[in-house]
Amino acid sequence: MSLIIESVSKRFGDVQALEDISLEIKPGEVFGLLGANGAGKTTAMRIVLDILRPDSGTIAWNGRFNRDLPRETWGYLPEERGLYAKMNVLEQLVFFAKLHGVRSKVAEREARGWLERFRIPEYADRRAEQLSKGNQQKIQFIAAILHDPQVLLMDEPFTGLDPVNVALLKEAFLEIKERGKTLIFSTHQMETVEELCESIAIVDRGRVVVSGSVRDVRRSGGRQMVRLAVEGDPEMAWLAELDGVRVTRRGQDYTEMQVTSGHNPEVVLHAALGRDLKVTHFEIADPSLEQIFIEHVGQIDTTERTLAPKVPA
Amino acid sequence: MKGWRTLFPNAWYVAVREYRARARTRSFVVGTGLLALIAFAATQLPVLIDYSMTTSQTRIAVVAEAAGMPSDSLAVLDGQLNGQAADTNAHKAFVLSWLSAGDDVAAQKDLEQGTYDVLLIVARDAATNDLGFTVRTDIPQDGSAVASITHALLSLEIDDRLFRAGTSTAALTAPFSLTIGPANATSAGTNSISHQVSADLLSTGLIMLIFMAIITYGQWVAMSVAEEKGSRVMELMLNATTPLQMLAGKVLGNGAAGLTQYGIILAAVVGGLLAQGQIHKAVLGTSSGAPFGGMDPTVLGAFAVLFVLGFLMYSLLYAALGSLVSRQEDVQSAATPLTMLVMTGYLMSVFGLQAIDESWVKIASFVPFFSPYLMLARVSVGHVEMWEFGLSALMLLISVGIALFVAARIYSAGVLLYGQRVSLRQIFLAIRVSR
Repeated sequence: MSLIIESVSKRFGDVQALEDISLEIKPGEVFGLLGANGAGKTTAMRIVLDILRPDSGTIAWNGRFNRDLPRETWGYLPEERGLYAKMNVLEQLVFFAKLHGVRSKVAEREARGWLERFRIPEYADRRAEQLSKGNQQKIQFIAAILHDPQVLLMDEPFTGLDPVNVALLKEAFLEIKERGKTLIFSTHQMETVEELCESIAIVDRGRVVVSGSVRDVRRSGGRQMVRLAVEGDPEMAWLAELDGVRVTRRGQDYTEMQVTSGHNPEVVLHAALGRDLKVTHFEIADPSLEQIFIEHVGQIDTTERTLAPKVPA
Repeated sequence: MKGWRTLFPNAWYVAVREYRARARTRSFVVGTGLLALIAFAATQLPVLIDYSMTTSQTRIAVVAEAAGMPSDSLAVLDGQLNGQAADTNAHKAFVLSWLSAGDDVAAQKDLEQGTYDVLLIVARDAATNDLGFTVRTDIPQDGSAVASITHALLSLEIDDRLFRAGTSTAALTAPFSLTIGPANATSAGTNSISHQVSADLLSTGLIMLIFMAIITYGQWVAMSVAEEKGSRVMELMLNATTPLQMLAGKVLGNGAAGLTQYGIILAAVVGGLLAQGQIHKAVLGTSSGAPFGGMDPTVLGAFAVLFVLGFLMYSLLYAALGSLVSRQEDVQSAATPLTMLVMTGYLMSVFGLQAIDESWVKIASFVPFFSPYLMLARVSVGHVEMWEFGLSALMLLISVGIALFVAARIYSAGVLLYGQRVSLRQIFLAIRVSR
């Protein structure tokens, strides 16, 4: 009883967009899809939604293939946002809900409720073109969830929102999760993922490089992070002598180092105490998702290799 | 394609949205109002023509100085100048005022003041005893009015000479035998200029209606597709509907908006024609002839079938082309090949109407891209067997099915393609990779 993506591959001309992707997403889970631009996140979502057909592989939700499922199973917030510019907000929300089989009256009541929750009830009768980008994005989110889909897929839902609206959207996420729905979203904001997601997959150039629960992924490399601060020795040059320890960051508050798998992080503490240094901070932690991401994908890539549509110049 | 099974109700919702969105645009409201106004004005054209004829009357003062003129002189002049049709002065092109010999000075004054356009003095030549005419006027001397007057005076001269030779006025005006019939004596139908002209006008008009509908409303469909792509709302739509539902909804919605516009224009035309008699009476004091002459129910039925099928086929293809561009500005150029095809069919029908029995017209009336025009042309002015029309309509219907299939494939691929120019190769590639 879950969303199972099995050996999905997709090629556009000369570009291998997805290569043998397999993932399992449990019902009721918040799942993060991480990847640089052009990694294949949008293509993967479109294939799950049956907007695109894969060259090979299958997608099944609760044991049924996606092409046999009704469209209202899914809610979709595309990365490229768009609404009918000349149509008023409430009218188009009801229109989209009706396409998913919701009755007009129910749709209108639900839509007004969500507008209220997003603190924009007065926009119900405005035309979409009169709204700011952030508010349009909230309308699109409502359009994606109004028919109460079992699985909600969102492509970069947080980009372009101010902190207040990010918080509102996170609240909405949690409420939808409480209703027992499954949420899948793509992002490259690691903090959001650590805050919201139970499981993730890191995608690079059409392949899943690592996936699982956030904790498992963070421990997947076998490395641990040590943060250490001592009095009177800001350089801590002696750290270089320790086997399996590599300094990754020197900061005001503490120095951060990576301890390779097979070595005990406590060696660092013993070494410091052995030098009669006064330790003010010692912490053992898993690597952050950002570190894992950089490890697998390399530098966060800013060049576009995207296959997803871009607005023409 | 699962869309085949579940076309409704989503196609209906899309159609309703399209219809409302279209009918609310300013260009629709203003355009419809303007066209209805023009159509109404056009129906009042006969009133205008009759009105301009009454105001362009040529008033002639005839000063009969000659003695012993035939008693039917005035009737001869009037008959020659105005024909037999008109009975009251209001409808005559020439109004004659018969004055006696002493009135010439007063008439000359009236001519200079503009009460008369022409002063005609009829005198008798002392030597030959023939009638002599003096015409004074400022209207163009080489114009048709003066030519008509000259012609009428010749008749009067002959009338006078025969009268003087002893022929009685009764014999001069006696009716003569005249029979006019069709070239083939056994043919039953009668032909008149007005009947032929109205049949020609009707078929030309109906063909033009089909042409305008396809060009205008077909492009609406393409525009609406490109607009959704450009505004990215397409991405939401793709999850909410199937391409086939969207395609069907768009064609139906825009077609219905087009029909609404047509309906309003048609109402203006019918209203105008019905009001024509009243307006005619109010302006000119007389009513005009029957307005609905030449409307053949067979032609109108054929028009309805060909209009609907032709519009469906072409607008499906317009939708497919619209899905290949991302901006409304690019719709025109993307649709050019199809628009050329629409124009070609129309031009063929313009020439075809003049050569309705040529074999190329017959062949083209079965070719789906051209049959809406040419079959209609043949039905309205040529001779068509029932099976010919049936075959042509059936082939058009099959083409609508093919167009639906092809358009749905291009559409479902095209809506995900973004870029400045879409090449044929890309289209085929996209069709291959689409669902």
